[in-house]
Amino acid sequence: MEWLLRSEFDGLTEIAIWCIKAVMVTTVILFVYTMGLRVATVTGAQRRRNFMARWRDVFANAMLDPVAATELRLPMVRRGDRIDLLEEWNRARSMVDGNAIDNLILLARRARIPTLAKKRFHGRRVRTRILAVQTLGHLRDADLRDEIAELVSDENTALSITAAVALTDIDPDFAVGIVVPMIASRRDWPKNRVSILLREAGSQRISEPLYRVIRSADNGDKTYMLQFARLMESGTLDALLNDLLRENEDAGVINAALKLVRGDRSVPRIAALTRHSDWFVRMQAANVLGRVGQQEHVVLLETMLGDPEWWVRYRAAQALTRMPFLGPNYLRQMRMRQQDRYATDILQQAFAEAGIA
Amino acid sequence: MTLQEFVLAGQWVFLAYFVGINLGYLLQNVIAAHGIRRYLQTAEQYEAENVFSALDIPVSVVVPAYNESASIITSVKALLQLEYPQYELVVVNDGSSDDTLEKLINAFDLQEFPEAYRARVSCKPVRATYRSTRIGNLRVVDKENGGSKADASNAGINVCRYPLVCVVDADSVLQPDSLRRVVRPFLEDPTTVAVGGTVRISNGCTVHQGFLEKIGLPSNFLALVQVVEYLRAFLFGRMGWSPINGLLIISGAFGLFHKETMVEAGGFNPEAVGEDMELVLRMHRLLKAKRRPYRITFVPDPVCWTDAPSNLRDLKSQRVRWQHGLGQALMLNKELIGNPKGGAVSWIAIPFYMVFELFGPIVEVAGYVFILVCALMGWLAWPEALIFLGLAIALGVMLSTSAIMLEELSFHMYPKFGQLGVLYAIAIIENFGFRQLTAIWRFQGLVRWLRGGKHKWEALTRSANLADES
Repeated sequence: MEWLLRSEFDGLTEIAIWCIKAVMVTTVILFVYTMGLRVATVTGAQRRRNFMARWRDVFANAMLDPVAATELRLPMVRRGDRIDLLEEWNRARSMVDGNAIDNLILLARRARIPTLAKKRFHGRRVRTRILAVQTLGHLRDADLRDEIAELVSDENTALSITAAVALTDIDPDFAVGIVVPMIASRRDWPKNRVSILLREAGSQRISEPLYRVIRSADNGDKTYMLQFARLMESGTLDALLNDLLRENEDAGVINAALKLVRGDRSVPRIAALTRHSDWFVRMQAANVLGRVGQQEHVVLLETMLGDPEWWVRYRAAQALTRMPFLGPNYLRQMRMRQQDRYATDILQQAFAEAGIA
Repeated sequence: MTLQEFVLAGQWVFLAYFVGINLGYLLQNVIAAHGIRRYLQTAEQYEAENVFSALDIPVSVVVPAYNESASIITSVKALLQLEYPQYELVVVNDGSSDDTLEKLINAFDLQEFPEAYRARVSCKPVRATYRSTRIGNLRVVDKENGGSKADASNAGINVCRYPLVCVVDADSVLQPDSLRRVVRPFLEDPTTVAVGGTVRISNGCTVHQGFLEKIGLPSNFLALVQVVEYLRAFLFGRMGWSPINGLLIISGAFGLFHKETMVEAGGFNPEAVGEDMELVLRMHRLLKAKRRPYRITFVPDPVCWTDAPSNLRDLKSQRVRWQHGLGQALMLNKELIGNPKGGAVSWIAIPFYMVFELFGPIVEVAGYVFILVCALMGWLAWPEALIFLGLAIALGVMLSTSAIMLEELSFHMYPKFGQLGVLYAIAIIENFGFRQLTAIWRFQGLVRWLRGGKHKWEALTRSANLADES
């Protein structure tokens, strides 16, 4: 009674045999490919290690001595080693400061690194283009400045932010004019990278452009851009914050501005914000009062200890413990007179954190 | 229906299942290979420029611990050395009956601290919160035993202060740069609410002071098979679902979540056996109901190494639990099934999981019984049956070979040629016995779920990898 499979599956059995053959061939191809990858990885790593070892010594000597940078005998660079050379030079260049940079640039010119970078600038692989842009920035080579400026608006995050950084290295005044107005629309750029770029451009150079961009932006962009405002010169920053806190009603903008307040210029407005309907504005207001508040704000902060939002209570309690004119005895009495359990608990936590018994 | 018609119908059901599951896996493989290639290219670009060298989203790491006295100090010391600019570590002692808490207090000079506790997600009462007098970013929460990892994790979430929460198993060994790797999707896409990473098997590896010192393969056969299994499960199982936003599981051993979304979803469900999968499904459900754009993503980087069961008892217990958890999680979130607005989750991922992962063991076990009965009755045409068996094995080997290739292409964690050889050998051997055994255990898990079984913290036999060195 052998009808199972055979009676119904004659055609399918044929297909199954073909499938087995196809699957086995695919498996063998995958196996060979994997082994090939392994061999390439092992030999590539070995070659790279040897190459790097030779060049690291050269870079180390050149960093310390300009004579060495111009006279040292350079190791041979084969075609396959060129990308490694660019990577290694950039790594060395990122680690140094002062005269060592000039020495490394001298050495780079002898090793034809600018030519290697320019050749790869128009390449197809994004990874190689990034390396080329980074190298040109590190070399402060202005030959391709305008083309690098175009790359700042490229879709690719890594390529565009690298171009922005390189442009700042090459020509900071020109870069600030292009990069600062673009920051709000490039939310894909990592914030820490933008901060470093702005810091390297210098507060004097960025203050006015940032002030103008923030003032003219919509509320969403204002909130975003305010994250970088701490890099501005203090006078311009104070003026900006004062204007924003006086004129703007948007909770996001107020919150972002409050985070930056250091002086007491806007204190009356900040005290009023402790009753704002958004809890994060109340929280930031409490925070600021902890830094710049006066005796008259103590009652305000004490009221905030009973706020429905934990973070507002926590920041208010921390603010009270930070006020230099409130001694431990006063604070202990304040805790004793609280009727609200929320207030007692949060004060107890803040006291423990501040080391008040 | 005559017996002959019944047997013939059975043949077609098994054939359809066979074709469906293998096509599904092949498709996942293709998507995963493409996804990993793209991921590596971007990673290479970011590394070239050091784009994410100093990250700026602080992370709270929550470590639920129940009777972890033997290894807790080493685990915490290792977690305190993670390479990440700003993070806090919250260890939750879930009413351990051993001296886990006392060991923590002594090792890190903990002092009871009047934390103004907020119960945002439900859990058993917290007895005390401790703060280290030496290490500013370490806190320990001591709570009443809730009977589950989910309950302990919820207590941790309640005291977390940072916007991202990473829940890790106390016995997991993390890569020092694991947080930096999994946080990347949150930086790239602000709608990201959860990220999982690849979990690998630590058996056979050398672990010193809670860190992986040398990667090796286990000598134990069961653990070895699981190495290949995990490569398949993570490198193309999870990676295949991620690009279509259809990821249903983020491993409980290591997952990074957006805290507010997690809290909004209600935190972990202490009643759920597979609390990790259940939370991910609930987040999908919540965000789809609110029509909020979101991403639940997977990064292929190996971020966490875990101890795999190395004896049949523990392995069976784990597989039964996983299957039970899968059934329960899917049913608790049944609104997602066929939801018109559910997208890939409702129309691709969940149907695939229902048919092939949840009810698959019924078909597989029934298939073995069916073949056995047919053979005993003399109905089986042996040449044809062997051809189909051969095809099933060949496909299994090919999928494993592909997973090993993806591993070599991406992270090549097993550096010796001999190790590759062992993995290939296992890819063949596992088809004879191991797969059938796991199908039976999964079937048992399915039965346990249908009968409404309960789950508690389980004590598994552990390797000595993380034992405290004192």
